[in-house]
Amino acid sequence: MHDARIAGAGMTPFGVHESTLPELFADAALPAMDDAGVAAADVDAFYLGNAMSGQIEGESHLAPTLASHVGLAGVPCQRFEDACATSSNAFKHAVRAVESGTHDVVLVGGVERCSPETGKATDEMTRIFASAAHGTYERPTGITFPGVFALLTKRHMHEHGTTEEQLAEVAVKNHYHGSLNPRAHFGKETSVEEVLEGPIVADPFHLHDCCPFSDGAAAVVVASAEAAAELDCDPVAVAGVGHATDVVPIADKVHPSMTRSARDAASQAYETAGIGPDDVDVVELHDCFTGAEVLATEALGLVAEGEGGPAAAAGRTSLGGEIPVNPSGGLKAKGHPIGATGVAQLVELTEQLRGDAGDRQVEAADVGLAHNLGGDAATTLVTVLEVAR
Amino acid sequence: MTELTDYLTDGRLDADGWTAALADDRLLGQACPDCDHVTAAPKAACVRCGSRDLEPVELPEEGTVYSATRIEVAPEGFEAPYTVALVTVGDARVTARIDADVEIGDDVRFRGATESAEGPAPKFG
Repeated sequence: MHDARIAGAGMTPFGVHESTLPELFADAALPAMDDAGVAAADVDAFYLGNAMSGQIEGESHLAPTLASHVGLAGVPCQRFEDACATSSNAFKHAVRAVESGTHDVVLVGGVERCSPETGKATDEMTRIFASAAHGTYERPTGITFPGVFALLTKRHMHEHGTTEEQLAEVAVKNHYHGSLNPRAHFGKETSVEEVLEGPIVADPFHLHDCCPFSDGAAAVVVASAEAAAELDCDPVAVAGVGHATDVVPIADKVHPSMTRSARDAASQAYETAGIGPDDVDVVELHDCFTGAEVLATEALGLVAEGEGGPAAAAGRTSLGGEIPVNPSGGLKAKGHPIGATGVAQLVELTEQLRGDAGDRQVEAADVGLAHNLGGDAATTLVTVLEVAR
Repeated sequence: MTELTDYLTDGRLDADGWTAALADDRLLGQACPDCDHVTAAPKAACVRCGSRDLEPVELPEEGTVYSATRIEVAPEGFEAPYTVALVTVGDARVTARIDADVEIGDDVRFRGATESAEGPAPKFG
């Protein structure tokens, strides 16, 4: 058993990109390889996360295409699809391959284009995103993904008294964080009033409770501790990866707003890392909608049950607060190119643990946690990274 | 009236049978005799315990709103606004359209099927 390290990290700005998927991917992958100090010949395998290029751009068999574009033709390539948790799952399998000794140095990347630059209008992209819902028991109702998380959030509001103002506070916080991140899709701050005055997408969510349709790519190089020691790089340690799933459709989940898979994945990751929620210094979590951040802060044990909304409103999860959540701006402000999101969270945490996060640096960040969910939270991966000792 | 057994294939309720029943304004589900789970979304095995010994059942028509959202931005092929809800019917929950302004905890009644580009969906109101 080998210890896994992130040896290098890179990502594109998230937003609107005109470039093709291979070109966009190269803008993350080559910087990640340079950051790790590896040449193409040093890379043993490629793990790709891309959720929807078949539906959005008519592109399939993407992994060898991307590998060929960045000089890795011939290595074993595999592609993962788990809705929005896609590239975290690619990362998990890369880590397992390095831990088992199957490979020493691997490239993990995610890429996706979801913006109107793809030629897909909002209603078309809304339909494509909804393909992650059940085809017989959910989609005929006209459910959307804002609608899925609205159902979970409305129930949480009913059970715990979470308010629309508290949800808006999550957007305000993450837009502020995003304003400090030059790679963020939204670099502008917002206010509770502005969020609440925006048009409804699926109640209780207004437009600014929702993440944007973004284009972007992110990549990391995963290496064994032994291999990383031979490279000219600044590695961070992969302390634990948890991965769990829950029932589809939502209606059959025991307690939908509890997001069981997040709790199970977090338990696994905490146990492997030998830590608890109180030991975490910085968190990147899956705030596809403001309500999703509220549910996740509770499921990860960062705040007590029902306290997710009040905690955000009180600034407990802001930069400078007791547990900074989404210093990158999160999906909400940084953006959400589906297949790139999970790895982008790890890029942010790598920079935070290295002390390289600039204006959004969390002080004394030694332990970072990433939470990446897919679909109606039927998939969740939780990853713990630590400063390498 | 069509017998419940007419919607089964080899004694089992599958997605086609559930959809055909819905098109006839009937809401069917499965009950698991091993763990007592009841679902409005028929599967090959029980989602809680894995049992394949599932009984087709007719679900109650009276339900309670578990959660609901009014969708204002619809997917291609749908016309917003409309309300989608999770409705508790007996020991099961079902994802449905709601033909009224509702809040969590409201009593609602099964009103048959609403047709969509993606097939029929249960309608309550």
